[in-house]
Amino acid sequence: MTKRKLAVAVVGLLIAATAVVLALGTSPGKAKSSSAFKVAFIYVGPHNDGGWSQAHEEGRQYVQKTLGSKVQTTYKENIAVGAQFSQTVASLAAQGYKMIFATSYGYITPQIAAKYPNILFEQATGTLVSKNVAEYFGAAEDTVYLSGMAAGAAAKCNTIGYVVAFPIPEVIRHANAFALGAQATHPGVKVKISWTNSWYDPAKEKKAAQSLKGQGACVLGQNVDSPATGQYAQSVGVPWVGYDSDASKFAPKSWLTASVYNWGKYYVKRITAGMNGTWKPGFYYGTIKDGFTKLAPYGPGVTAATKAKITAKWNYLKAHSNAEFTGPLYDQSGKLRVAKGVKMQVLKGGTNSLYGMNWLVKGVIGSPKG
Amino acid sequence: MNVRVTVERRLQQPRWLAVVVPFASLFVALCIAGLVLVATGHNPLSSYRRLFDAAFLSNGALDQTLIAATPLAFTGLAAAAAFRMRIFNIGAEGQLYMGAIVGSAAGFWLGGRGGASPFVIAAMIVAGALGGAAWASIPGVFRAFFGTSEILTSLMLNYVAGYILTYLIFQSESYWRQTKGFNATVFPTGKPLPSNAEWPAWTLHTQGGVALPLGAGVIVLAAAVLWVLYRRTRFGFEVQVLGDSEGAARYSGVRTRRKILAVMAISGAVAGIGGASQVGDFAHSLDGDPNGLQKQSYGYSGIVVAALARYNPFAVLLVAFLIGGLDSAGNALQGADFPSGLVGVIQGIILFTTLGGELLVRHRVRLVRRPETVTA
Repeated sequence: MTKRKLAVAVVGLLIAATAVVLALGTSPGKAKSSSAFKVAFIYVGPHNDGGWSQAHEEGRQYVQKTLGSKVQTTYKENIAVGAQFSQTVASLAAQGYKMIFATSYGYITPQIAAKYPNILFEQATGTLVSKNVAEYFGAAEDTVYLSGMAAGAAAKCNTIGYVVAFPIPEVIRHANAFALGAQATHPGVKVKISWTNSWYDPAKEKKAAQSLKGQGACVLGQNVDSPATGQYAQSVGVPWVGYDSDASKFAPKSWLTASVYNWGKYYVKRITAGMNGTWKPGFYYGTIKDGFTKLAPYGPGVTAATKAKITAKWNYLKAHSNAEFTGPLYDQSGKLRVAKGVKMQVLKGGTNSLYGMNWLVKGVIGSPKG
Repeated sequence: MNVRVTVERRLQQPRWLAVVVPFASLFVALCIAGLVLVATGHNPLSSYRRLFDAAFLSNGALDQTLIAATPLAFTGLAAAAAFRMRIFNIGAEGQLYMGAIVGSAAGFWLGGRGGASPFVIAAMIVAGALGGAAWASIPGVFRAFFGTSEILTSLMLNYVAGYILTYLIFQSESYWRQTKGFNATVFPTGKPLPSNAEWPAWTLHTQGGVALPLGAGVIVLAAAVLWVLYRRTRFGFEVQVLGDSEGAARYSGVRTRRKILAVMAISGAVAGIGGASQVGDFAHSLDGDPNGLQKQSYGYSGIVVAALARYNPFAVLLVAFLIGGLDSAGNALQGADFPSGLVGVIQGIILFTTLGGELLVRHRVRLVRRPETVTA
């Protein structure tokens, strides 16, 4: 036999062997296939990002622990909007998943919802409600305001830096709440913002933090997903306010506090409804009272006096969610936007609603357009 | 006695090797990746089976594979068209964005005026090609007239194009952005394409429905055109000579500057049509989200596709289909019990080994025995 024939024969054999082994090999997931209700969570960053996605992952684990073998949950991380999301949903549908929590805006489109009418979709932070799509989020602005109070009290200078993701109402609302909170404990303090145009990008977040420090910020805060800002803050000895998850372990000395979410309770409620066939689409907006938004444990830099002030405000906001967005509110140019005594609503009111806000309050330095 | 391993160029590249080596490489890749899987406590066989099912067999799998394969075929063909001539256009990524921007503008403008659908779609294809070609011509001009390395300039322009794309949707109320309705204020999105500008798809009723996008047909046609252009025309011959030796080409009277510009423009045009296909076939709006189209890195993966296809236009189509399947199936494999990083490792091992195997097609490894030198 020539060398050539030998090589071709060997490769042919290899292919045949591989095919046989793969065909006979254990079929995926068959061992696990049971009557369990299958639920998937889609994350915009890594499941252990130390922020947003990690908070959802803790929610998923809470679901698995609470509902036990009745459910089978999984997650898909670092999923891009568009093609990758549609590929992921297709594979989940083929594997028999019945419910999908898409934890970032932009994932679910009316086309995808229509293509899989038997899957129950839930999307965090959006507004697209339809027959099989529910939306959920919470009044983090209340707790972001409280974390802003901690930042303002810790500021020994007149500038606080705030690392922000996208120039959209959600982030603008949080930046405004943060600034209003800081001004409550530190009258006249300025909040400088720096956009990263990404939810999760540790390198960009660190650069933004560096540039804010360079512009005179003596406290840093953030509305992005990774703890990169905190790690930088600790390296230069500056106090830091996080977001989404308790990330104190990444910068224990700089850590002040953070507005955090408790997604688990909502997930258990919705998944139970999905299993029982009582699920209905809707728009959920959790509050402090619901136990949906919370404040992470304080770090060493928060004084007893500040804690007392925050607790008093906490009790007030618990009874009056969104009270921080009550007029008079002025924009960056000093123009009165919300009249005295008027409280902004979540969805109604155009640019004067929580979901439509496209302007920054007085004292924030930076453009609301990115 | 002294044994030395030498790698020497093959004088002839036997055809059978070109077929045998990729399969053998794939097998080796599966073995190496299998070791990694076993070491991390996963069953390699069921993992591969899941990967294969999710790429080609399970319900809706082929449909999703085509969504990944179509743009990869465009960027792969764009890279092949340039790399064959030793013009290293790394900018297919940015050229794809520009094609999407210009192509969608044509769709909004003509579609909004109620043009006939075939006319609007044809205009989008031409506009996408022009957008990509124009963007590729920037590094083309610098290379042709100033000898600037097109590798660096085309690469850098990818970032610029990415920022332009984000700017159009996120940081301005541009022509491409949806500004009407409540949802538009909550999160910036692209304006929806008018229905007469949406590209048609032919649905095969198997496997839960497989939609063959128009873009997939366009790319087959483009591959055929490029094959004829490079193999059967004087232009193709001259460009080939230029690729082999710029000096020889110049002495024999080839107008090298024009050829460089033309090759860059062709390469950019193909990537640009890919961008128009992203809008017309799939997204139906301009996707400016940095966590969307830009995160897919089709332009960079296209370089791998082109290399694996040995810059052959038809092989690009096949390789794009396979890599598209691998790409799409990775999403099915990852999960709570399977780290996404491990999916990347498996995909990386497969690509690395198959690309590495190419060495054996062009070179051969020999053991050379050297007699010990006799010393007096």
